Amino acid sequence: MSGLGPLTSRELKKWYRNPVSLLTGLIQPFFWLALFGSAFSKISAFGPTLLDGAPNYITYILGGVLTIIGLFTALFSGVNLIFDRRLGVLGRFLIAPIRRSSIVFSKIFASSARILVQVGILILAALLIPNGLEFKHGFTVLDALILIAAVMLVALIFTSIFTTLAVRITRPDTIFGVINLVNLPLLFVSYAMFPPGLMAGWLSDAAKYNPVSWSAEAIRTVVINGTLTASQMHSVELWLGGLAILATVLLLMAYFVSENEIRE
Amino acid sequence: MAAIIETRNLTKIYGGKVKALDDLNISIEEGEVYGLLGPNGAGKTTTINLLVTRIAPTSGTAIVNGFDIVKNSLEVRKSIGVVPQDLTTDEDLSGYENLKMVSQFYDVPAEEAKERIHKLLAMVSLDDVKNRLVRQYSGGMRKRLELIAGLVHDPKILFLDEPTLGLDVTTRTQMWKYVREIQEKLDVTIILTSHYLEEVDALANRISIIDHGKVLATGTSEELKSNLKGDIILATMKTDKDAETLMKYPGAIEAKENGPRAVRLKVQNSDEELPKIIQYISGNSLSITRLTVQKPTLDDVFLEYTGNEIRTEEPTDTRQEMMNLRRLRR
Repeated sequence: MSGLGPLTSRELKKWYRNPVSLLTGLIQPFFWLALFGSAFSKISAFGPTLLDGAPNYITYILGGVLTIIGLFTALFSGVNLIFDRRLGVLGRFLIAPIRRSSIVFSKIFASSARILVQVGILILAALLIPNGLEFKHGFTVLDALILIAAVMLVALIFTSIFTTLAVRITRPDTIFGVINLVNLPLLFVSYAMFPPGLMAGWLSDAAKYNPVSWSAEAIRTVVINGTLTASQMHSVELWLGGLAILATVLLLMAYFVSENEIRE
Repeated sequence: MAAIIETRNLTKIYGGKVKALDDLNISIEEGEVYGLLGPNGAGKTTTINLLVTRIAPTSGTAIVNGFDIVKNSLEVRKSIGVVPQDLTTDEDLSGYENLKMVSQFYDVPAEEAKERIHKLLAMVSLDDVKNRLVRQYSGGMRKRLELIAGLVHDPKILFLDEPTLGLDVTTRTQMWKYVREIQEKLDVTIILTSHYLEEVDALANRISIIDHGKVLATGTSEELKSNLKGDIILATMKTDKDAETLMKYPGAIEAKENGPRAVRLKVQNSDEELPKIIQYISGNSLSITRLTVQKPTLDDVFLEYTGNEIRTEEPTDTRQEMMNLRRLRR
């Protein structure tokens, strides 16, 4: 996919050169943890069983917050494509002998790279704050790989969807509308923040089918338990498998749509 | 010389009804500067967009540097450079980074790209601002950057779509200088569209006048002017009676009043006809106060072929132009 390298490096340059986006990216994880961690910390009072055995609420929601960070950055991955179209830069890409899909995939990869950086900062922040993240039962290399895989798959799923949408959208407000429509449902109809036991029955049922839940639960399982039992491992495999299948299908969709449908 | 671009009944219909290009057949030779001249909405940009494979034709095709624009668009894109009407460089990158990125699109080896980018930057006097963000460039600087962005991969053909749209007169003349220099030094075939007559006249070796998606005439500027059949002679006489007598001059193809006591004569060839007119004037004892010979301009040619002045603006393109102006000003 020629063009992918230079286009991805362009995206990243635009990101790290913008002092505001860099700073907000650094501060945001602390906000998330401090606000959510304290707002919902009373949940701990219900006892560790409700928190799947997590020593504190921060440890419990880490999987959720990591997933949500990935999700929210991914939702905005198509915005730059719309601005490229508006500002005329896309015209330059379309007359170059590069694969058209590389235009879209550069956004997908750049967003994923940003998410990885945010994940690193967030874990660091969670370890630093008082009464924060605790790996009670250790944290293995395999656990780390599962954690990264889960966030990355969520990132790929939603960047694929939102960059594909941006292939034909010409107005930024259109995509902002779509983002606003889906972000809160995706967040709250999931196990990202709350244990199923605290949710209304129908909500908990619906949340089972949300990929955000799969990622949050997979990360939660490895963070809380360290070394997994066979049945825990089986659940993690199912969650990651579901995410991987969904990501593959959506990446393929992004590829074919961008190759054939991208317009100025 | 061989044709480097040839269109074959190239047709583009937008949305099933707007015929932007109607069976266009043009042939462009290697090494020439070829101008497409026409009013806004004539089909110039559509022609360029088709030839650079930015859009696909409804029917017909074209061969660009030996490659078919429909079947082999990737090869076409490799052999051409394009300077589109809109600004296409990234404001958040420096001038150098923009050019570097474009060179990577074309797989130009890094060392070669570096050398070439420096040469091009020097050519359009941008070398001292190359590391500044494009956002800080002036309108003229951005246009110059656009110009060389189309050249970093050493294309055989360069397309310039309205290269000076929205620029002031001084910057425009400066751009012309750069375009000429590029043509001489880099040995590229240039296809230029413009609705500025002076621009096409100043830059192009050969011109096609295009309107409503059809070519109306093709030739050098001189050929097109001489095809007009006739020069204009303007004479102002001392009295109305003298003017009336001059109107009856037998050698004129056409004689018209041109204001009080002024006569406009259209003659085959002013060089041959002028002495005869002077003889006629003195032979009839007419008193003349002023006599001017007007060689046809491209303006007249345009008027002759399209039946209207070139400066007629269409609403959609005015909007486009305003957008360009706005971008340039920022």
